[in-house]
Amino acid sequence: MQYMKSPALDRELKKGSAELLILSLVEDQPRHGYDLSKLIETRSGGLLTFRVASLYPLLYRLEKRGWIQGRWIEKAGQRRRRYYRLTAAGAQVLEAQRNTWRDFVEAITRITGVEHA
Amino acid sequence: MPEWPRAINEEMRQHLDDEYEALRGRGFSHDAAMRALAGDVEEAASLRMRPIDALRTDVRYALRTVGAHPGFSAVVLLTLALGIGATTAVFTVVDAVMLRPYPYPDMPRIMMVSETVRTGQPISIAWPNFQDWRAQNQVFDALGLYRGTVMNLTGGAEPERLIGSLASADVFRAVGMQAIVGRTFTEDEDKPGAPRVVILSDRLWRSHFNADPSVVGRSIVLNGETHAIVGVMPAAMRFPSRVTDVWLPLGLFVPTFPTDRGAHPGLFAVAKLKPGVSVERAVADMDTIARRLERQYPLSNTDHTVSVVPYYEQIVQNIRPALLTLMGAVAFVLLIGCANLANLMLAKAEARQRELAIREALGATRWRVFQQLLTESVLMAVGGGALGALLAWWGVKGFVASRPATVPRVDLIAVDLRVLGFALAVSIATGIVFGLAPALRASSLDLLTSLKDATRASRGAGRRLRSALVVAEVALALVLLTGAGLTMRSFAALTAIDLGFDPSHVVTMRMALPSPRYPDLTKWLAFHRELVQRAAAIPGVEAAGLNSAVPLEGGGSESEVRYEGQPLPQSVSEEATMCLFQAATPDYFRALGIAIVRGRSFDDRDTADRARVAVVEEALVHKFFGDADPIGKRIAFEFTGHGPSAQPLWREIVGVARHVRHYSIAREPATVEVYAPLEQLPIWFRERRPGLTLFVRTPLDPEHMVASVRQTVASLDREIPLYAVQTMDEYVGQATEQPRLNMTLLGLFAALALMLAGLGIYGVLSYIVGRRTLEIGIRLALGATPGDVLRLVVGHGMTLAFAGIAIGLAAAWAITRTMQSLLFGVSPHDPATFAAIAALLGAIAFVASYLPGRRATRVDPVETLRAE
Repeated sequence: MQYMKSPALDRELKKGSAELLILSLVEDQPRHGYDLSKLIETRSGGLLTFRVASLYPLLYRLEKRGWIQGRWIEKAGQRRRRYYRLTAAGAQVLEAQRNTWRDFVEAITRITGVEHA
Repeated sequence: MPEWPRAINEEMRQHLDDEYEALRGRGFSHDAAMRALAGDVEEAASLRMRPIDALRTDVRYALRTVGAHPGFSAVVLLTLALGIGATTAVFTVVDAVMLRPYPYPDMPRIMMVSETVRTGQPISIAWPNFQDWRAQNQVFDALGLYRGTVMNLTGGAEPERLIGSLASADVFRAVGMQAIVGRTFTEDEDKPGAPRVVILSDRLWRSHFNADPSVVGRSIVLNGETHAIVGVMPAAMRFPSRVTDVWLPLGLFVPTFPTDRGAHPGLFAVAKLKPGVSVERAVADMDTIARRLERQYPLSNTDHTVSVVPYYEQIVQNIRPALLTLMGAVAFVLLIGCANLANLMLAKAEARQRELAIREALGATRWRVFQQLLTESVLMAVGGGALGALLAWWGVKGFVASRPATVPRVDLIAVDLRVLGFALAVSIATGIVFGLAPALRASSLDLLTSLKDATRASRGAGRRLRSALVVAEVALALVLLTGAGLTMRSFAALTAIDLGFDPSHVVTMRMALPSPRYPDLTKWLAFHRELVQRAAAIPGVEAAGLNSAVPLEGGGSESEVRYEGQPLPQSVSEEATMCLFQAATPDYFRALGIAIVRGRSFDDRDTADRARVAVVEEALVHKFFGDADPIGKRIAFEFTGHGPSAQPLWREIVGVARHVRHYSIAREPATVEVYAPLEQLPIWFRERRPGLTLFVRTPLDPEHMVASVRQTVASLDREIPLYAVQTMDEYVGQATEQPRLNMTLLGLFAALALMLAGLGIYGVLSYIVGRRTLEIGIRLALGATPGDVLRLVVGHGMTLAFAGIAIGLAAAWAITRTMQSLLFGVSPHDPATFAAIAALLGAIAFVASYLPGRRATRVDPVETLRAE
């Protein structure tokens, strides 16, 4: 696993956004943990990474809150994996978090004049 | 695929597997991939778990470990059970006697007040003095006066003996107890000539009135007189004694109290301090009053002061040194057990070093390893504690069943939730104490060394730690053994004392004739005369006699004694010779086996109309007459009038008896003993006739005589209850109870300590021999004799033992001083005891070293070298 370019930025952003990221990624289809971590890493261009020790406890917490649901699924010729899908409650949370995030980013943009990415 | 640590769950494993595959796919070598994953693995193995999950895992793992080594675990559990059990048992007693709150409100303000003489000895209060105290003191809210009494309860199927207390109304205010039914005494009831009323104890109320709440207004017959019940005290009311059955107003009896300040008629006081008044101020205030009275009444009050002692102090003062010593003793046993277990755990941790090193290599943090090992030891300690609590429960039950009379609140001693909480706390602390050293060491092991060479890595530090533990164990055991040795010597000294009588085969019982039925002396004497005759005629009775006092019971009535021609005292402060005077029948001496060393005992000639006679003890003869023959000389302990004008009533000495221990076995005051014939009853006894005790000597089992003696009494008067039926051996047993308890319990704990210390030495040497098999094999191969090897091993063991003995002797020297008050006839630094204990411990250490030493000599050099 690559080391992060800016650990401080990574940590700060992740703190606020980790839940949002995971909920978004399981919105369309169920995914397992390794898949999630790879997707986050590649789609962020390596800017965001999750360590094993923080990803799985986070999944555990989200499941405990009822926002996602995990299921062990066995596919032929593979070891079983735990796939997570978004629950109805999770979908509501995702909607709310997305709005919050959008408002937040717009506010920052208006103040700082940074172009929306 | 690599092996991930067990602690990582399946999902993360899967993730790590995937990542490992990906890295290998990108051309990473196995080692490079593992290095890249190391951080994730470590975090996953540790941070992942919430503490509660980690604990659950550790507990599960620890249980598996315990189950996998049943022998080891049994030793550990047993050691813990004994240590924690002993500690818990002693705590149970300490808790009930000293720690648990007493039921009286404002217990710290309740004071016991008594007069004291020059020696500091508290004595009962002269009635006029008490009246002055009450009128003049400014420190007490209430100052109550009470006196013990025994009463006959009649009206039921059988007459009964009740323990009564004559108590002023202020007694109840001082102790702060309310009646549960009815009320306590009013001031009007607490006066001469008031109608007779009584307060019942909870016990009597339940046994005789079925706890009837409408009992107030009914009445009972005490000593032949009807008393109206005004109240019932709760079971928690144990003042003045746990066994008090009834309280009567003291005021009713005031006319019978001597108005002379020199007379001390068994009155004691209890007071409640005013709020905010300190004990010191109360003492000072009472001292001022005492000094004023001393100036006013020098004849009676010179050197008399007032003692004010908190009630709590009075209850615990006699038992506290013994309890603290025992608490210390069990703490030592527990510490020795901990040292042993620490050694065992160290050995085990070292054996598991490879396992721990692997876990660590795979990412378990040192903190996790440390946590894991500590969980194991705490878990075992809690298991041992549960067994220990069981042992304590059983031990305490046995202790309470033995009804130790010298332990206050013995009926409240029981293993309860408080005690179980204590046992749990001690268990956890114990687990941490004995698990900490091994866990710290195991978690700080050098990883590489351990992996390379888990069996023979240089572990000088480990060996030093184990040796230090053994030395500490031996030192602790020595202190404990010395304490136990001293109490044994002390007990031996105590039982070697000549009591002055032969306690075997004597049964005693007490009776008091109610004055309404035996109003005049003639009738009273006739009853006793007849009783002795009939008792002596019972088949199997060797001799039967009556006396007004019972040996070892704590004395009785005292008076000044003078001899004819003795110069008058030159000053008021000159010490008078005090005597314990007794009224006895002729065969009393024979019944109790008291030797008459000169002259004769009483006989039928010594009647009221003949010359007054006395039997005296040797010490009196020595003090008054030196070597001269005392027979025919005259003494007096009865006087008409007081002060220098007192007129003595002379008695002629007809016999000299051996000194009989009356007060206690260990400490006798300088009081001398004088006997008068019952038929020539001392004038002090005329007004207030004493209850008498019948002593019956029989060659048979004394218990078997009780029924026939009871019948004899009943044949004379059905209404007279017998009480305090017990053998003289039982009196001796009670008098030696506390020292015997101290000796037995300390001896038990010391034996435990000795066993554990022996096991400790044995264990460590066995371990070292096991570890050094190769070295020993080489030595033997190079020509060392078995003797050399034996010397090597035993030498090692004895070095540890001697170090422990030296430290232990120094510690014991310092510590046994605190036992002074428990010892009799032996110095706390008794050299013989110290030497004997050191030798005993040395011998045990030798045996414990010799056994592994002998095993070492049997090492087969060829076999050992091949094995390597």
